[in-house]
Amino acid sequence: MKFRVPLLAKLGAVVVATTGFYTYVGQMVPQKEIYPPKEVLIKADITTAEMTAIGKEIFEGKGLCTTCHTIGKKTGPFRFPDLADVAVRARTRELGFSDVEYFAQTFYEPDIFIVPGFNPGMPTINKPPIGLTDQEILCVMAYLQSLGGTPSVTLATKHHYNGGAAAAVATAGAPATPAAPATRPGEPAR
Amino acid sequence: MTGKGLKIAAGLVLAVLALAAAARVGLYLVEKHEYKEPERAQLADPTPREQGVLDEKAAADKVASAKPYVEAEYRAFPGIGSRVAIWIVAQLHLLFAAFVLAVPIFALIIEFIGYKTKDKRYDRLAYEFTKLLSVSFSLTATFGAALTFMLIILYPKFTNYMMSVFSPTFLPYVLLFFFEAFFLYTYYYGWGKFSPRIHLLLGLGLNLVGTGIMLIANAWVTFMTSPAGVSEKGAVISTWQAVRNFTWMPINVHRIIANIAFGGSIAGAYAAVKFLQATTDEERAHYDWMGYIGNFVAISAFLPLPFAGYWLAKEIYAYSQTLGLTMMGGAFSWLFIIQAVLIGNLFLGANYYLWLGMGRVPGAQNFQKYIKYLLIVVAACFMVWATPRSIIATVSEVRAMGGSSHPALGFLGVMSAKNTAVNILILTTFMSFLLYRRTGKTPTVPWAKTGNAVQLGIFGTAAAIVIGLGITGYFVEAKVRIGLSVPQVGSVLLAMIAITVIDVPLYRKARMSGEVQWGKIPAISQYVLIFIAVTFTWLMGLMGYVRSGLRQHWHVYGVYRDTSVDAFTPTLGFATKVVSVTVLIFFALIGFVFWLSSLHDKKDWEGGAS
Repeated sequence: MKFRVPLLAKLGAVVVATTGFYTYVGQMVPQKEIYPPKEVLIKADITTAEMTAIGKEIFEGKGLCTTCHTIGKKTGPFRFPDLADVAVRARTRELGFSDVEYFAQTFYEPDIFIVPGFNPGMPTINKPPIGLTDQEILCVMAYLQSLGGTPSVTLATKHHYNGGAAAAVATAGAPATPAAPATRPGEPAR
Repeated sequence: MTGKGLKIAAGLVLAVLALAAAARVGLYLVEKHEYKEPERAQLADPTPREQGVLDEKAAADKVASAKPYVEAEYRAFPGIGSRVAIWIVAQLHLLFAAFVLAVPIFALIIEFIGYKTKDKRYDRLAYEFTKLLSVSFSLTATFGAALTFMLIILYPKFTNYMMSVFSPTFLPYVLLFFFEAFFLYTYYYGWGKFSPRIHLLLGLGLNLVGTGIMLIANAWVTFMTSPAGVSEKGAVISTWQAVRNFTWMPINVHRIIANIAFGGSIAGAYAAVKFLQATTDEERAHYDWMGYIGNFVAISAFLPLPFAGYWLAKEIYAYSQTLGLTMMGGAFSWLFIIQAVLIGNLFLGANYYLWLGMGRVPGAQNFQKYIKYLLIVVAACFMVWATPRSIIATVSEVRAMGGSSHPALGFLGVMSAKNTAVNILILTTFMSFLLYRRTGKTPTVPWAKTGNAVQLGIFGTAAAIVIGLGITGYFVEAKVRIGLSVPQVGSVLLAMIAITVIDVPLYRKARMSGEVQWGKIPAISQYVLIFIAVTFTWLMGLMGYVRSGLRQHWHVYGVYRDTSVDAFTPTLGFATKVVSVTVLIFFALIGFVFWLSSLHDKKDWEGGAS
């Protein structure tokens, strides 16, 4: 007598096997749990070197900077500017802006100046969902200054957005200033 | 006294003595081992036990009566936790809701075709689809109620916040739900009882009300991803602004199309089950045709779905670049590789079913020779789409490659290649449909050759534009590259429309080499239909996860933070397990729906005689 597999068993097998296959595919990709960013304690008497270390931690964690930016990537495509040696470029990026004022503008009002060749996309860093505090932003500035330069920022550093004097030339809300150096398509911003 | 009497007396005495001795020994042992209260000095107890107990109770009562009301922020669901419990129930609710919203759309269209053509087969088919609705509607409502109660119990504070933002929308939602029940049951039970026009109007009402319900529910979920109409601190400024947030309309369009695709695939699976159970050729022919229509609906809706997906993704980027990049380049980027596997399988399954279906028509050999080329194109596009940009590799392998991207294949992992692959995949599947449509037919119009040449030219041009722009994407800056996907998509859409416009008159009075022999299809084709339905369901579960999980540790992105124990993004492996469990529960329940619907066709029970 020939044994026949019941239809229900065959249908069940198709459903379970298909579901099982996709579950297996799901296990084959990188597995990573992502936790909410940790709050970093910033003491009042922190040194610039400590700020740089904390800034790096924020850059890679709470600030979500690495979602868009790379550091030292040699070939394209680039979503957003690569930040290798950004400290050097920041000093001359906008006429009359110090590196601190330039960084501050990119954090607090990022759409005022867009690096040529890229789309606007930088979120306002002191607002949710990232929501860095003024102190945390100073720490990230210190870290960015360390990329091709020497950090000089302290917690006492003032800029246009934390109660300091307005930038020498441009002010918040001023029209976009074209960047001095040209950037070739597909290359890191200079 | 006789000697015997003396012996008895002596024996008794000895027995009494032995018993006395044994009793004494026993008493000694008991006394030795029993607990004895130690001797203590007779001091007064400073806190007598009874008084102490009363004091404790009074203190507890005092604390209890003074306890302030504190609103619970979260409560835990036993075993699997609150997030997974809500996740499964919400997904099941959505799957049944999608089915209940989708089936009336194509049931109405099929009924309308039957009304216009006077072909009773269409009317029967539309009724067969509608039969699946009533139990599914009850299950949708049950899961909806379970979801609401679970949200109130497990996430009370957040639910309260959502209630405050969307309070004006809840009463209309309930009213629409009532009307949905009214239209659905009159549409189903009124089949053949009203004039066709009145019945079609009932179907239209059902569709309009169902769409209205979906629009309101979509406002709630899209607000959580791209909030609008509230202050930075979450205070409500405008409920209407909250409703029409950035992703509301793209999700509305995406869901309507996806629901039709999903509903078509589930209806196709129902037909497949009935085909496999069929005992007569007539039944097999009917359910083969029903399965074909179900699959046709599913794939027809599936082809424009990626375009709706582009729009949704564009709006997510427009709302927040961070959110967009988290989706495509950050935590969820690998999820889209899984999605590529699923969509690739859907295309392969759909094409395979069409190619098997060519066997129904005499004279199909002319077209079957092209299938192997189409298969090569489909497989190649699938492989490109599923190529990741970065590869999981050991440290030494990464060093050998000079980075996490493969030196050659890595170039296929970027969006330029993937956009090109998916557009060619859509064009190829469309060509499969066209070949199937032409099987056994010879055009008789005098401009047939020109028409075919123009169609082929349009195909070639669209393919050339898609590939050309895909290659250009490697050599231009990001700003330009992102914009290239629009003409790619546009050329494919235009090509499909233009070719269809030519194809309809081209084959209007075509000569037939033979009638379609419905039911003459290998049984494996029916398992392919079930495979397609499971894949669609799984895909919906996966994309539901990314839409919701994208917010990461926010209930409402950037406004209302998730501070529960589940405020982290789980691994993709875990997420896929939850999706699979949900899919299995759904198919167990939809199997129940199929079984209940099939009872309708069974003979009445008459004292055991079936």
